[in-house]
Amino acid sequence: MFNKRPRPTNEGSSFGGDLRGRRRKQCPFTAAGIKEIDYKDVNTLLQFVTDRGKILPRRITGVSAHHQKLLVSAIKRARHMALLPFVAEA
Amino acid sequence: MKQQREHLYEGMYVISATLSDDARNKALDKIQAGISQRQGEIVKIHDQGRRRLAYEIDGHREGHYYIVYFKLRTSGIEELWQEYHLNEDLIRFITLRTDTVMEKIEFKSLEEPQ
Repeated sequence: MFNKRPRPTNEGSSFGGDLRGRRRKQCPFTAAGIKEIDYKDVNTLLQFVTDRGKILPRRITGVSAHHQKLLVSAIKRARHMALLPFVAEA
Repeated sequence: MKQQREHLYEGMYVISATLSDDARNKALDKIQAGISQRQGEIVKIHDQGRRRLAYEIDGHREGHYYIVYFKLRTSGIEELWQEYHLNEDLIRFITLRTDTVMEKIEFKSLEEPQ
């Protein structure tokens, strides 16, 4: 009775009241078909850190859990090699 | 003796940019020699050029980046690691296992959303 409501899908339908009609974001890595995230790819990594150099949470970027894991380790490697800052002066 | 497995590795090295070209090449030769002395095989070297460091390391603001692909037995990596820490021209390094040699250091950009 209560479980009759169809499961929300990624395509268009609103997700209860939570997303307030906004479309569910798709993971940019899944969309581009990227399987591995390289620490040398600074330009891509820069899209997922703030101006201060902090790693953006996936609730904002919409990255899938799997890719967020890869992304985080890539960012940390890049920081070690001084390709990305640990803290940037804003 | 136990047979040691050999793996493909990718090393990234940041060499001090204050060195002259000669001294820098010598530093790179030293890295290569360290690998070949341990019966390793150098597969490919990418010279990535000078680059501004994202933060200052021991007074250095710029570094010369190299990416070296090499094959080496596993125990050699630990020896290299100790050697690299004693090398003062080498400001940062990283050694990672890899499956493929990148012929070109290029990446496709993510498609813009929408």
